[in-house]
Amino acid sequence: MARILVADDSETILLLIRTRLEMAGHEVETACDGQEAIDAVRRDPSRPPDLLLLDAMMPRKSGIDALRELRADGVEIPALIVSAHKEGADAKGDGDLAIDGFVTKPIDFDVLFERIAELT
Amino acid sequence: MLTGLAMVGVARFLEQRQDFEDATARSYQREIAARNDLVAGRNPRIARQTIKGEALRREVLRDEISAKTRDTALLVGAGLIAGLTGAALLFSGMIASMRRPLEDLVEASERLAGGDLEARVKVGGLSETAQLGAAFNEMAEELQRRAGERDQLERMKDEFVLTASHELRSPLTSVQGFAELLMLEREQLTPKQTETVEIILDNTRHVVRLLNDLLDLARSDAGRLTIAPAPTEVAALVEEAARSLRSRTAARGQTLEAEIEPGLPRVNADRDRIRQVLVNLLTNANEYCQEGATIRVRASRAGAEVEIAVIDNGPGIPSEQLEHIFERFTRGDAGMTQRVGGTGLGLAISKSLVELHGGTIAAESTPGGGSTFSFRLPAATLSETANGAESAAEPPGLVPNPAEAERR
Repeated sequence: MARILVADDSETILLLIRTRLEMAGHEVETACDGQEAIDAVRRDPSRPPDLLLLDAMMPRKSGIDALRELRADGVEIPALIVSAHKEGADAKGDGDLAIDGFVTKPIDFDVLFERIAELT
Repeated sequence: MLTGLAMVGVARFLEQRQDFEDATARSYQREIAARNDLVAGRNPRIARQTIKGEALRREVLRDEISAKTRDTALLVGAGLIAGLTGAALLFSGMIASMRRPLEDLVEASERLAGGDLEARVKVGGLSETAQLGAAFNEMAEELQRRAGERDQLERMKDEFVLTASHELRSPLTSVQGFAELLMLEREQLTPKQTETVEIILDNTRHVVRLLNDLLDLARSDAGRLTIAPAPTEVAALVEEAARSLRSRTAARGQTLEAEIEPGLPRVNADRDRIRQVLVNLLTNANEYCQEGATIRVRASRAGAEVEIAVIDNGPGIPSEQLEHIFERFTRGDAGMTQRVGGTGLGLAISKSLVELHGGTIAAESTPGGGSTFSFRLPAATLSETANGAESAAEPPGLVPNPAEAERR
C-alpha cells in the first residue's frame, strides 16, 4: 500500500480522505496548505511519499504552486490535483507542469482508488 | 453671376446694334440729301461723291458691327464657359467635401455593425456632414460603453457561477463523502438509518448534478464549453457509460443491453464529454421508464458517422413535448417530473456537446411505444483528414492504424 500526502484547507475533507484512504490500507500524511505540503515532502528526503493529492485552491499557497516548486526542486513524485471544477485547475496550471491527473469534487473514491493504483 | 454676365453681354450687343443702326440711318439721310441735290442739280459732283462715300461708309459700318458683335458674342461665350466651369468646379468641390465624410461614415457604420466598436469617423467638412459624423461618434461611444458594461457583467456572472460552484462543492464533498462512509458500515445501521443515509446520498447526487449542469450551461453561454476530441473506441465508451448506470437500472428491475456493430470505426470524441451525453440519455431512460423496462444502447455505422442510440420501451413522449425536448428546463409531464426530479438541463447540454463535436442529436418517440434518442459523431478516420485528399481514398469501414491515430 502507498504512502500518500494529502493537502486540503478543509479539515473535514482531510478527515474524510484520510478515513477512506486508511480504510483502503494506505498510509496518510496531511497538510493544510501548499507550504505545509512542501515542508512535509522535504522533511525526510530518504522516505518521500509515493503520491501527492493536492487541492488546487488553498489559501497562502495553492496545490498547483506547491507542485510547481517541488517539480522545480526535482521532485518527481506522482501528483493528483483535486479541484472543484476543471477551470479551477486549468486556469492555474500550465502546460509544462507535470500533473498526473485531476480529481473533481465531490470525490468519487472508486475513481480515486483506481488512479492511485495506476500511479503507485 | 452668370445671369449678370449674360445681361451685360446682351446689353452691350444691343447698344452696339443701336449705334450701328443710328450711324447707318444717318448715312442714308446724308445719301438721300445728296440725291435730292443731284436731282435738283445742286453741286452734282459733290453729291455724287457723297452718295458713293455714304455707301462705302455703310459697308465699313457693317463690317465694324459684325466684328464688334462677334467679339461680344465671343466674350459672353467665354464668360459663360468660364462661369460654368467655375460652377462645376465649385459643385464638385462641394460634392467631394460631402462625399468623403459620407463614405467614411458608411465604412465606419459597416465596421461598427461588424462588431468593431472602436470604429469612429473624422468629423469635418460641411456642417451637416460634420453633425452627422459627431452624432455617429457619440452613438459608437455609447455602444462601446454599454458593450463594456455588458462584458463586465458577463464576466462577473461567470466568475460568480465558478465561485459559487466551488464554494458549494467543498461542503457537498463532505456531505456525500461521510454519507458514503456510513453506507460502507451499513451492517451496523438499522434499516431506518440505512434508508435515511440513502435519501441523503440521492439528494446530494442530485445537487451535484444540478451544479454540474449549471456550470456547463454557464460555460456554454460564455462560449467556453470546450472539448478535446481524440480517436475513441465506441465500444469502450458505451461500456463505461452503461457500467455507471447498471446499479440504477438494476434497482428498477430494468434490462440494460449494449449492441455494438462489429468493425465500427473510432469516433473523434472528447471521451468524458461523450460519456456525459450517453449517461444523460441513459439516466433519462432509467428515470422515465417503468420498472422492468428494457433499455438498449445501439452503436452502428451511418455513412461517415457513427450513430449511438439509446432505445427504450418506456411510456414515450407526446409530440408537443418532443418538439421542445432539447430546450432548457423542458421535461416530460409535470407529475413525472416531480417523481424523477431531473434538472431539465441534461438534454440541452447534450445537444451543445454533440454539436461541438460536429455531430447531430435527435429524438423520436411514440406515446406508449417507447423513445429513441440518438446522436451521430464523425468517424475519426474521415473527420481527421477531412481536408486531406487521402481521406477520399480510404475505403469505408477501415479501422485506423492506431500508431497513426496516436501520432495525430
